[in-house]
Amino acid sequence: MALNPMDIYKLLPKTNCKKCGEATCMSFAFKLLNREKRLEDCKPLYEDKKYERQRKKLEEMLKPLEEATETGLIVNEDLCVGCGNCVVVCPVHVEKDPKGAAVGNGPTIDDPILRVEDGVVKVINMQACRRYGKNRVLCVVCRENCPTDAIRFLEG
Amino acid sequence: MIMICPGCSCLCDDITIKDGKIFNACRRGEEIFGRYKENRARAMVDGKEVDVDAAIGKAVEILKEAKNPAIYGLDTTVVEAQKLAVELAEKLNAYIDDNSSFCLGELVEAVLKKEMPTATLDDVRDNAYVIIYWGSNPFHSLPRHMSRYSYYPRGAKRPRGYDEDRYLVVVDVRKSETAVLAKKNAKFIQVDDDAELVDSFFKAMDGKAAKYAQDVGIILNEMKKADFNVIFGGLGLKYGLKDLKMFVELVKKLNEVAPVYFIPAGFHANMRGFNETLFEKTGYVNKYSFRDGSSDDSFAFTELLMNEKIDAALIVGTDPIYSLPHDVSAKLGKIKTIVVDPRMSFTARVADVVIPSAISGIEMSGTMVRSDGVRIKLEAIEEREVNDIHILKKIMEGL
Amino acid sequence: MRFSKFLKVEADIVVARYSLLMVETKSSVEPVIFLHPEFAKKSGVKEGDVVEVEANGRTVKLKAKLSENAPENGGIIPNGIFASYLTNFEGFKRFKANIEVAEGEPTDVEEIIKSFKS
Repeated sequence: MALNPMDIYKLLPKTNCKKCGEATCMSFAFKLLNREKRLEDCKPLYEDKKYERQRKKLEEMLKPLEEATETGLIVNEDLCVGCGNCVVVCPVHVEKDPKGAAVGNGPTIDDPILRVEDGVVKVINMQACRRYGKNRVLCVVCRENCPTDAIRFLEG
Repeated sequence: MIMICPGCSCLCDDITIKDGKIFNACRRGEEIFGRYKENRARAMVDGKEVDVDAAIGKAVEILKEAKNPAIYGLDTTVVEAQKLAVELAEKLNAYIDDNSSFCLGELVEAVLKKEMPTATLDDVRDNAYVIIYWGSNPFHSLPRHMSRYSYYPRGAKRPRGYDEDRYLVVVDVRKSETAVLAKKNAKFIQVDDDAELVDSFFKAMDGKAAKYAQDVGIILNEMKKADFNVIFGGLGLKYGLKDLKMFVELVKKLNEVAPVYFIPAGFHANMRGFNETLFEKTGYVNKYSFRDGSSDDSFAFTELLMNEKIDAALIVGTDPIYSLPHDVSAKLGKIKTIVVDPRMSFTARVADVVIPSAISGIEMSGTMVRSDGVRIKLEAIEEREVNDIHILKKIMEGL
Repeated sequence: MRFSKFLKVEADIVVARYSLLMVETKSSVEPVIFLHPEFAKKSGVKEGDVVEVEANGRTVKLKAKLSENAPENGGIIPNGIFASYLTNFEGFKRFKANIEVAEGEPTDVEEIIKSFKS
């Protein structure tokens, strides 16, 4: 299930109290999704008993965030057959590993972003992903070429 | 350690085993490398454990007494063992057949007889533009086929990646995983009857109206843009078309429009090896009778079983109870069966004789033939003395 | 007891390789059928139900899972002993079967093996 900021916002106190350091609950919702803020930063949610039910729902909803890598990538190994499509299509691999992943082989570089190990895809070096860091781009090429949704991103 | 994977007809040559981990192999390959010691066959005669020589001795006895023996399977063993099996069949005046008689044998034969132009998978990677998977879902049957050889890799003349430099066509009766991948610069044609699509291709080339004329028109136009297009045919093609000659004719006719190559997309690691081995010896790829000196549909192992034409079978590296329709495999109970297999397969569990063997490519070195006809040398991780070659030689000596 | 128990539906079955189920060691086979979600809904089958699948006069009980990759009016049975038990060469990769929700456990592969030991 894809997470979107609106669904998160709906469960927040919506008081724009600014205790979290954000101007609005909506912008807090965005930062939660980008993992620049944590749910615990919303003090009222934890202090005021009337928000308890909402808080529990939010905790449940945000669980995938903890499983996801820093770029929001989630791998479900149960759905992966190790076809290697994601490894071969990754634009970073194509650039850095012209004799390996780019031409269809297993990566020959030491620090690929993704690699098939023991029959399923593993995240090795997320920092190299174009989705990582300040100048990130929301590249989805690996997900687009995974027909079983073994690879997903938080935003869907 | 770099290994070649004997898991399917892709024969991937970049499998790396390091620090107890298996790199680059798909799930199927991982299972072979990671679990090859599990469920191993034990030498048996009539359900009782014996030593290997006793099992081989009993096999010899059965084959000596048999009036109409058949040798069957052989698609997962190495060419060197396939050659011995053919010699053994000749010596026994026996029938010999493999899984290809109900898989892609006919299409491989057309390729070997040069009735359809073919190419290697390396050619495909470097040159192919339109790539058609017809009745094949490589995602499950040949998991790395698309990422190593066809749609996804950058090739010498296709450097810009799949979304610009390739055009994918998937033909299936259902929206398979491979069909899901047919997005941009691609087409998924869901057929109910494959013959209607073949017909549409013919008619579209003649400028006539047809059921799939629009889709086919687009594909033909794409083909004209390139000097290299390819069709991979799988079991869905074989069983979707009653008459495969029609398909062979189609490939010929397509070549009047643009260069189109055909490569079989069969599963078993060395099925093509068996086809080529028998073809070199007899001019036929499967279902051959040394007594009759010819090949015929009625000599297919499945037909021989159904019609009770054989009284003993030497089954090497295949599991008919697992893979053949029940009406056919149930007849195994009426004949003497000798199973040569590394695993305690379902058929091994009900066979008269079980001879445990080595896993080809892992415990026995040798040659296999990739789905495109390229011969590949496999080096074992650890050689096991009692392998298919050893067993077939011993049987030969015993006779 | 559910009403769907009495509903027998005709289904299109496709037999196909399925890499997510382990078969290389030939030690066990999962008794499973992947039904198209719409077909399952229409036929009153829920994910996890045991369904009785009948074709060519033979019957097996398989656990139902859902897959969008299945034919719209039926399901996929992975290539293997259960599919082989039901099929014949006329419809080796594709055949019609009758499906209904059943009680009890999926068919044990040992039962099929037993049918070969006369």
